[in-house]
Amino acid sequence: MRWAFGSRARRSRREGIGAWLAAGSVALSLLALLALLALLTIRGLGHFWPAPIALVMLEDGRQLAGEHVREVPLPEGEGRERLYRTGNRDLEGSRWQWVPVSSITAVSHPPDLVVLERRRWGEAIGRLTSLQRETGERVEGEPAWAALNARLAELASLRQARDALREEIILPQVRPLEEGDEAPRLEAANARLRELQAAMQGGHLILEAVDGRRLEVPLEQARRARRPNGMSSLEKLVAWGNGVWRFLSEGPRAANTAGGVWPAIFGTVLMVMLMSILVTPFGVLAAIYLNEVAHQGRLTRLVRISVRNLAGVPSIVYGVFGLGVFVYGIGGTLDEWFFDATLPSPTFGTGGLLWASLTLALLTLPVVIVATEEGLARIPDQQREGALALGATRLEMLTRVVLPMATPAMLTGMILAVARAAGEVAPLMLVGVAKLAPQVPLDGDFPFLHLERKFMHLGYHIFDAALHGGDVEAAMPLVYATALLLVLVILVLNLTAIFLRHHLSMRHGALAR
Amino acid sequence: MPDSPSTLSGRRRLRQGRDRLATALVTAGGIGAIVALLAIGLFLAVEVMPLFWSSEATETVSQRALWLPREGADGAVQYRWDPTATLPTEDVARVSLVPLAWGTLEAAAWALLIAIPLALGAAAHSALFMSTRLRSRVKPTLELMEALPGVVIGFIAGLVLAPWVDRHLADVLTLLILLVPGLLLASGLRSCLPPRLQQAIPLSWAGLWLLPWLLLILAAAHGLSPWLEAWVFGGDLHRWLEVRLGLDITVRNAMIVGMAMGFAVMPSVYALAEDALSGVPRSLAEGAQALGATRWQTLWRVVLPAASPGILSAVMIGAGRAVGETMIVLMASGNAALMTWNPLDGLRSLAATIAIELPEAGPESLHYRLLLLAALLLFVFTFLVNTLAEWVRSRLRRRYRRLGSGR
Repeated sequence: MRWAFGSRARRSRREGIGAWLAAGSVALSLLALLALLALLTIRGLGHFWPAPIALVMLEDGRQLAGEHVREVPLPEGEGRERLYRTGNRDLEGSRWQWVPVSSITAVSHPPDLVVLERRRWGEAIGRLTSLQRETGERVEGEPAWAALNARLAELASLRQARDALREEIILPQVRPLEEGDEAPRLEAANARLRELQAAMQGGHLILEAVDGRRLEVPLEQARRARRPNGMSSLEKLVAWGNGVWRFLSEGPRAANTAGGVWPAIFGTVLMVMLMSILVTPFGVLAAIYLNEVAHQGRLTRLVRISVRNLAGVPSIVYGVFGLGVFVYGIGGTLDEWFFDATLPSPTFGTGGLLWASLTLALLTLPVVIVATEEGLARIPDQQREGALALGATRLEMLTRVVLPMATPAMLTGMILAVARAAGEVAPLMLVGVAKLAPQVPLDGDFPFLHLERKFMHLGYHIFDAALHGGDVEAAMPLVYATALLLVLVILVLNLTAIFLRHHLSMRHGALAR
Repeated sequence: MPDSPSTLSGRRRLRQGRDRLATALVTAGGIGAIVALLAIGLFLAVEVMPLFWSSEATETVSQRALWLPREGADGAVQYRWDPTATLPTEDVARVSLVPLAWGTLEAAAWALLIAIPLALGAAAHSALFMSTRLRSRVKPTLELMEALPGVVIGFIAGLVLAPWVDRHLADVLTLLILLVPGLLLASGLRSCLPPRLQQAIPLSWAGLWLLPWLLLILAAAHGLSPWLEAWVFGGDLHRWLEVRLGLDITVRNAMIVGMAMGFAVMPSVYALAEDALSGVPRSLAEGAQALGATRWQTLWRVVLPAASPGILSAVMIGAGRAVGETMIVLMASGNAALMTWNPLDGLRSLAATIAIELPEAGPESLHYRLLLLAALLLFVFTFLVNTLAEWVRSRLRRRYRRLGSGR
């Protein structure tokens, strides 16, 4: 036994430095991947956790209240400085304040500091001094906080009722009506709408910033209020869940630096679905043709290699092709034929959902062809010969024997195509993605699916908010969250593909034996 | 007889007709899809033609303007890409594609410089040293890494990594210096441990237990960097680089692009190289080990030479990806069309230029055709590289078959 130990130890010592450097490169790659995922998760999800609001006393007697964002060293070794998100943009002119650490005398977290989210000007931070109800009654001190919360809940339900009224009753009726027509139901709905609008008006609250200046905010401008320093962990968790939900379900606000990403999720999913509807049949047909129908000669081999290589052609080149052929070529011609009235403003002659899906379908076509062909090639020839020997025609052999066996391979190909398409941004920049598309391409208006409309995309949203936003600092947490969402979607899709491929190889491994 | 011969042959004819129709459909659909795919190259070539043939275009864009340097105002030789500027004093547009091609190749070179050692090291380790259980986990993980979208990597590189590296330049340098000795120190320390402990941390699991060690190295680099900066670089690495070496430093630079794109390219190189290494017939490696070679010697002398074409093709595929990657370069480089050797300065690649400028260039305009020429260059380059890699790989496969059956 001792002998065995010794020999093994000696052998591993003799492996030399190369083996250790090789091991180190595995560890380094894994570390980089883990660091990336951890960064996205922590920053992306952490943003929605209600951060404590610090009340900072400065040397010169000033005070400020805000959320501690980060601390960086000053150049030339002159100590460090902290960044606070102080809100109150209408008072200060900026949402951010840099403070040298050396000038801070005390930091406390008083529980009565209120963070108020407003419809304009972003957040306001301060103490709630008084509230005037819509009836004119004034409430001061602690009861004001309860009154504010009650009123905010009331406003939220009123807003919901108004939006529902507008979406479900008024808009569907307005569209088919010509000018001049009046429908009695519409009249009633409009009256109800005015009533709701009126019920939202009135009342205001007075928020005193920590430096003593007062902010008067009309109540209908306020969206949410919270006192993060006084919240229990459970309340914070609920607030966090609400924040995540709002991020997923709302549209972007303030030039993509706030709000949610719902239209981008919707656009991405819709575009990818259209793409897979386009790519799957053609990819499978091409694979069947190459593998089952075509004469297996030199030309077929050449075509097969070319298709494989086209998977390695940069995506931007597909984007150029999509712009030149689909948008300018086919789209321009369609406009001349059918949409002559609206020219020179293009209908199909500009980027849109249809062209983006087509371009991505072309981009992912090699993926589907290669995956399906692999599945088809794995099926032993005896299966085909057996079917033919029993008198089946080629169609019957394909549909009853070969294709059922190749289904997992086709699914794998489709999922890999979807995963690739969901993360691809460069070609979309040329063929139809938009910075901000207020109308989603699917609605209740005939023909329901608007293929010519531009759409929003998660990946492009990241690019745009990170590089072209006005206030990048404010946009960063949302960009992290969006990136996390995109990565999660793609990881789930890829894991499904890996699982399917595993399942496939198990099945055919057993079959070949 | 329930079926008379005439109905039987009628049904048979129906079945055959249906079969013929389906075959025709499959052929039409298949050929249609493939032709649409292959049309990409054709379309680009046809659209670019007028640049070289039409008389109106050749007046403004001569071959010289595209590829050769011109004398600048101060007499210095320069290449310029500025197709939208129409200066009355200049008779020829400033449309040299050379700085863009330079930026593309520079970015790809930095990416490969980082990706190749990492990917090949990782491939060698996981093909020959790693335990099977760990390998069945690590391989799919690194495959998943390949699927990370470029826009996310570009965002992290351009907006998180770039400012961080800019602030902690000395840390990065120290880390580079410490990395290799640090890993060797790990192996040295391990061999000093008693055998029982050595068995607890075997080389086959080193990919995992080196992770905390790497974090330690990172912390050490962070701690040591002020010393290095004070002793060698007179207190400030930034100023030292700018004053002593005369380098311009931008926050988003070629090195950041290289790091990010190296990270993005590494998994695909790894996957192909790993396949090539683990595809080498076992009999070869077993023979070498039976003759007393260590596993590293086996790798270096036997497996690596046998798999070298596969590794070459993996590197070529990686190069193809690095050249065509758009979003990472777009977000992590400054997009300034410069031609320098300085890794701390910005660059602008062909792909990023297309992504930025093509939506603004009107159809049929000169600018549009120039950008299409850039796309054609990318297409031809990647297609050729991939074809070459495919050819090398197919030869390798034949060689393995020969070697494997030779025993």
